[in-house]
Amino acid sequence: MSKTISRQPWANQSVAGNLDILIGSILPAAISVILAILTGMDFSLALLLIFLPLQLISVCTIAFKRQGARGIKDGLLILFVIFFSATVLVLLVSVLVSVVMQGSAAMSPHFIYQNNKYVSTTTSLEYGGVGHAILGTLIIVSMTTIAAVPLGIAMAVYLTQSNSKLTGVVRTVTQALSGLPSVVAGLFILSFMGFANFERSGFTGALALFPLMLPTVARVAEEALRLVPSDLRLAALALGAPNYRAFFQVILPAAKSGIITALLLGLARVVGETAPLILTINANNSTNLNPFSGGIATLPTFVYGFLGSLYDTSQARAWGAALVLLTLVGLLFGMARILGRAKKTSASKIKKAK
Amino acid sequence: MTKFQETASSLSAENISVWFGERQVLQDVSLTFPANKVTALIGPSGCGKSTFLRTLNRMHELIPSAGLAGSVLLDGQDIYDPKMNAVDVRIKIGMVFQKPNPFPTMSIRENVISGLKLSGRKNANPDELVETSLRRASIWNEVKDRLNDQALSLSGGQQQRLCIARSLAMDPRVLLMDEPCSALDPGSTRRIEETIQELSESMTIVIVTHNMQQAQRVSDQTAFFLADDNVPGGVVEFGETEQVFNQPIDSRTNDYVNGHFG
Repeated sequence: MSKTISRQPWANQSVAGNLDILIGSILPAAISVILAILTGMDFSLALLLIFLPLQLISVCTIAFKRQGARGIKDGLLILFVIFFSATVLVLLVSVLVSVVMQGSAAMSPHFIYQNNKYVSTTTSLEYGGVGHAILGTLIIVSMTTIAAVPLGIAMAVYLTQSNSKLTGVVRTVTQALSGLPSVVAGLFILSFMGFANFERSGFTGALALFPLMLPTVARVAEEALRLVPSDLRLAALALGAPNYRAFFQVILPAAKSGIITALLLGLARVVGETAPLILTINANNSTNLNPFSGGIATLPTFVYGFLGSLYDTSQARAWGAALVLLTLVGLLFGMARILGRAKKTSASKIKKAK
Repeated sequence: MTKFQETASSLSAENISVWFGERQVLQDVSLTFPANKVTALIGPSGCGKSTFLRTLNRMHELIPSAGLAGSVLLDGQDIYDPKMNAVDVRIKIGMVFQKPNPFPTMSIRENVISGLKLSGRKNANPDELVETSLRRASIWNEVKDRLNDQALSLSGGQQQRLCIARSLAMDPRVLLMDEPCSALDPGSTRRIEETIQELSESMTIVIVTHNMQQAQRVSDQTAFFLADDNVPGGVVEFGETEQVFNQPIDSRTNDYVNGHFG
């Protein structure tokens, strides 16, 4: 094979030629680790008090040597971006890791499918599970979703496609509503239940989640629809399309991935809600598939219920439920993304139909 | 092959005045577009050519502040008559935009027949329609092996010809083109100009262009639009292309076509 010239000459940096960078990167870390060990200092404190200033000095020195004053600004920006993104990433990962670590103690097949009917705060982990809460979460969240997603998208359509002067008012109210504290939504439904003589049930829980999901879906879907170029709508209308066909066949497909994001953010907003549900449902321990009567638990109310107890087994159950909730959310998000992926199969479908 | 009706319609605009809110942008424009003729609308930017073009197939009314006076007759029938439906008008009078705007979520094939779906019409043999339309827009040979590719995978010039094919699939009697070549290279421009010549055998064409040579190459008649500060746009001169470019009556037309301003 003949020798080819590198296709990415800008990436062609040997470590040997950049010895100063290598030293500048290792030295601050090494010094801070050694100092921390010698003085018995807390590592996170050492990170902030020793490592960050040292790294700042080293970045500034190297940058100044290479590019002068301009290099210092560049170097500082890069350092801070990396440092703070790493901080956020560490926080996120530590949340995940702690849930997985603490939650795995309770994990077993029966924990997923059994309910908690004969379980007290001290029952050993060999009995009981979150099966009823998984079902409850799915039932309540899907009831909310079925109502909130079409309505939210309809609101977004109104906000983007209508020329009415009312859109400004609707948009402001939607934004205000999206800042609504969830406990207030719960209180609102609770007072409504007293007024309308409704018993606590899964349905009233879904009602309490509805005002939380709706504005989120509406706002994100509005952004998604706004990003569709107006050219496309004009092109469709110029071909003799009525407004509704232009919307369903051209605008909506073009905004599809954004609309799915709206759905996901809406789900994320309500799936972990606890406060409004504590007010509006009876979080019980047995399986109940009827959302219109009787007690029903969700994963967050399960966590809330068992975390309050001081017994180890209860704590473990709560962490286990949190892990199940995280997994469930992950699965839902993954599924939605796969379903929403821009597919190239629409053309082949036509072929098959022939 | 799919039968095209091969009958063009005549179109005439009578005393068209246009407003955006309180601002008048066109004053008393009257032009006639005989069947099977190509008419070029020329003039400097902002003189109301594109706006005028949009009044011809009722796209103008989609702008919230739009206002209009006058009438547009398609074969003698006023398209702004309350009994007429804007959707039907747009099916008969097709439009090609300045920027290529194929539907990004559809394949090349789906784009061509999108008009059928969008207007709720059926065609017994969509495959033939796809081929005929693409042939008429002289892009068939370039895309015949990749009909199921995404429309956005085409180059700009091909996308514009795909948009023309999309309009042709609706079998319009009049085709309006709003600077269809302004974003294209000379090669694509030439092909679209050839397409226009062929299409004029079966339809009436109105084309807005900033390119004098293009107007001379493709059109039978030419209208020169002009607007001034605080004066709404209007037609300064309208006649056979030959005459407008070589023996213009109005001195302003002479200055414009010879590149003295604009």
